[in-house]
Amino acid sequence: MKTERSTTRSLLIATAMSVLLAACGGGEKVSSNTNASAQATIPDDPGAVRFLSQASFGATTADIAQLKATGLEHWIDQQFNMSRSQTGTHMDYVKSQIPLPVPQGTAVTMDPLYHSFWRQAMLAPDQLRQRVTFALSQITVISAADTGLQDSPHTIASFLDILADNAFGNYRDILQAVSTHPAMGQYLTALGNRGDNGRTPDENYAREVMQLFTIGLFELNMDGTQKMANGAPVDTYDMDDIRGLAKVFTGWSWGNEGAADPSNGRFAGNPADPMRRVIPLQFYRQYHSPDAKVFLTANIAAGSDGVQAMRTALDTLFNHPNVAPFIGRQLIQRMVTSNPSAQYIQRVANAFATGRYTTAGGYYSVGSGQRGDLKATVAAVLLDTEARSAGSIIQDDWGKLREPVLRVAALMRAFEATSQSPGQQFRIGNIDNQMFETPMRSPSVFNFFRPGYVPPNTTLASKSLVAPEFQIANEVSVATYANTLQTWIPNGFGSTATGQTGPDIRIAATEARALASDVNKLVDHVSLLLTSNTMSTATRDSIRTAVGSIAATANNSAANRVNLALFMTMTSPDFLVQK
Amino acid sequence: MTTKASRREFLKTASALSIAGGATPWAINLASIGAAAAQTVPTDYKALVCIFMYGGNDHSNVIVPADNAGYQQYAQSRGALALAQNTLLPLTAPANASLTGRQVGMRAEMGQAFAATQVGLKGLYDAGRLAVLANVGTLRVPTTMTQYRARSVPLPPSLFSHNDQQTNWQASPTAREGTRIGWGGLIGDLFAASNQFQNFTCMSASGGSVFLSGRSTVQMQIGNNGAVQINALNNQTLFGGQNVGNSVRTIMTSDRAQTLEKDYNVINKRAADSAQALNTALNNATLVTTFPNSGLGTQLRNVARIIAARATLGQRRQVFHVSIGGFDQHSGLVAGHGPLWATISQAVGAFYAATVELGIADKVTLFTASDFGRTLNSNGDGSDHGWGAHHLAVGGAVKGGDVYGAFPTVMLGGPEDVGRGNLLPAQSVVQYAATMATWFGVPASNLATVVPGVESFSADLGFMNAS
Repeated sequence: MKTERSTTRSLLIATAMSVLLAACGGGEKVSSNTNASAQATIPDDPGAVRFLSQASFGATTADIAQLKATGLEHWIDQQFNMSRSQTGTHMDYVKSQIPLPVPQGTAVTMDPLYHSFWRQAMLAPDQLRQRVTFALSQITVISAADTGLQDSPHTIASFLDILADNAFGNYRDILQAVSTHPAMGQYLTALGNRGDNGRTPDENYAREVMQLFTIGLFELNMDGTQKMANGAPVDTYDMDDIRGLAKVFTGWSWGNEGAADPSNGRFAGNPADPMRRVIPLQFYRQYHSPDAKVFLTANIAAGSDGVQAMRTALDTLFNHPNVAPFIGRQLIQRMVTSNPSAQYIQRVANAFATGRYTTAGGYYSVGSGQRGDLKATVAAVLLDTEARSAGSIIQDDWGKLREPVLRVAALMRAFEATSQSPGQQFRIGNIDNQMFETPMRSPSVFNFFRPGYVPPNTTLASKSLVAPEFQIANEVSVATYANTLQTWIPNGFGSTATGQTGPDIRIAATEARALASDVNKLVDHVSLLLTSNTMSTATRDSIRTAVGSIAATANNSAANRVNLALFMTMTSPDFLVQK
Repeated sequence: MTTKASRREFLKTASALSIAGGATPWAINLASIGAAAAQTVPTDYKALVCIFMYGGNDHSNVIVPADNAGYQQYAQSRGALALAQNTLLPLTAPANASLTGRQVGMRAEMGQAFAATQVGLKGLYDAGRLAVLANVGTLRVPTTMTQYRARSVPLPPSLFSHNDQQTNWQASPTAREGTRIGWGGLIGDLFAASNQFQNFTCMSASGGSVFLSGRSTVQMQIGNNGAVQINALNNQTLFGGQNVGNSVRTIMTSDRAQTLEKDYNVINKRAADSAQALNTALNNATLVTTFPNSGLGTQLRNVARIIAARATLGQRRQVFHVSIGGFDQHSGLVAGHGPLWATISQAVGAFYAATVELGIADKVTLFTASDFGRTLNSNGDGSDHGWGAHHLAVGGAVKGGDVYGAFPTVMLGGPEDVGRGNLLPAQSVVQYAATMATWFGVPASNLATVVPGVESFSADLGFMNAS
């Protein structure tokens, strides 16, 4: 596997870009100059909101206008080419709050990392990267709740930056980077794992890198369905594979700056480089298993170099046919819908496997041509006919329950949340007790919810449908969510910065308040931005009636009307299910 | 609305479900459920409480060989993971033939109690209120080592995998992740009709799990302070409006055509219908026993409060689920395992004391469960995923002060070792479950319905008194 990948994009649309920007302001369809029959996908307002609910942390009025001007393909391509420099890295932000090395006596909390997540979700123009990064963080999972990681916002920031840096790169590079990151090393305990002198290696990482990060438990067809043998699914690996692979992940421990120092003391943690939480693990030959490593299709000879052994192992996993449908399905679930059709999964898996995606009409084509290309994969997820079809919206089983983080983000972006603190810190910390989901704080490596979760005793279950996000929806969490919103919407939320008063974040909703004297216009505005106009007539009527019961002449009527419209919409199933 | 249950109501519910799930493989067998419900309307109160130890408990350091010969084998196999012999709390096991000439002990933290008036796990054992179940694990049929090696009998799917083995423990020997029905919920199906609040038959203080999901029974989630009411539903003047609460209620709880919307609103509706009744009853219930402030202590305190409110609520049979995490100790086992057991010992001791206070100690049985046991040998700093493991049952109806089942030879390469000292289970989860289900009142004729797979085993491990 080459470590450097070609990043050439075939961009059929590139030459037409400036023309398009000038010409299509009115939203009419424009033909590409490379394929007379192919057209850019220019959405209407609801279509733009719907797309942004899948591809970003939520629609804003400005994003809608831009999408309508450029069309979906150009927007995606611009996003693919947008650098991260505009908001800086998570590490930049965490360091600005808590220096690294951490000065003696400094109080360390995870808050700067959480703040950085929300800050970028709100302020970063590279929204597609943000959303894909969040999805990846739910596949290759580490957690700030871990006792080994909870003292270092820097190590989590560094890990999240890896995912963001590679969100439009290649999944193979993500595998390499996460497997050698100290946060993963601590979380899944490969750090310090020894295979010398006949020791039995820790099997933790070997198991989870297969079960969760690459191939899963059962052999898959490209369309995500299980291969069957004698009526039963086929296991991808057994205990012998795990024990063989476990030997690969031995001899890796803390790195150090400057010249590599693979000494016994360094391996055990002394001396400790002050930057070791944020630099890759290094290899310590003396602790690596000298045995042959036999697993899946690999047979690494006894005595082989350990650095190369890890590359070979990750290549083996990466090239397993399961990876394309296994990762492809999960990206669809995180962004678009819980139950994609087999054909949709297959199209995305093909983009992953071939490293290339071309839209149905041939208007847009992207990807390096190398297996694991995430530009091709992400474009396939978002531009698929099933994701874009208006017909999908009215299918009863389509869509996904919005996870709590995305609900809050959608509110904040659409209704102009402002952060009072210096430098706009967006001081949302651990919100487990309010929202039952805090970014980068999953309860285990199995994420907040499982891709195959079927909520028991539901209509979904009776239809054999999965609904991952329902794993954190129960009588307590749904009630707490509503009660939290009832406070957050009018009063704001987020911790108070030093020298400030009240919650850091306020929902300005300037545009909505300007419409508040006209109940219909206000509800239409909220319905567009939060439900892409999929709000049912019944819900719309209920909200109109309730909002209209607040007299326009009453004190604070504009604010109250907006707050009520937002509260009723965000607790409505119309909003909660992203379609 | 939750209403007083009657047999007619129960049948109506079951019938509606049967239609909803008509073409599915788990279509309800209305006749057998109805017949079972008719047979099993109890007049007394009983509760089962499952403590799930998420991550896979390192059982080898919970019940440990304490005699010299057994300890030497254990210590050699465990290496740096071994507990010191002189820290163990020796147990007498009068009726266990496999322990003749041997002795086992609990790890020291199992002697800890939260309050001076309470005892911990060791104290409960000594008082005859705690039984040790040796080497329990997931099995489809009784399995010998020869059969295991030859793969000549079917084995549970995805052994050693966290999520799948959790599901297998909570559901049935053929279950893996994605299974929708667990044996706690199936017990609930049988007894829901005997409860005034059917919604409160199966209650979880620890989040969703398959354990408490039956064919018709849905688990009810409670929080750290009981149920959570949706405040807006009763606030007609919210944000200065009129009749707002009713509109919010309509939006949040009305039936929907879209499948995900429908199922979300069903959860809203359960919360709306049940929270007030539950919290009112909890606030009126008296419970003096003090509990530790740990997560597990808080969960068990809430379970005890609900049990204290049983008469007000009109409940006769309840199944509860609580949990404690952090057991996946591939690393840091030596430092990290003891505190977990200190937490369990204190919380369970307090819970038992609460059932004594409430005068129903012999009506409440608490038991442990976990993903799997762990390897006997060390990976350097911890242990890896295993299979069979020792478990505990606690309560006034438990024939405590003894160890049940063949205690394994704790030694690498021993007769039960399937690799790295992992144990081929000697007793199956379904036997463990069926023994408690029978005490709970499940008739023998319904046992295989409630504990699928038990028909392959003898259904009584003998650690419960007759109901």
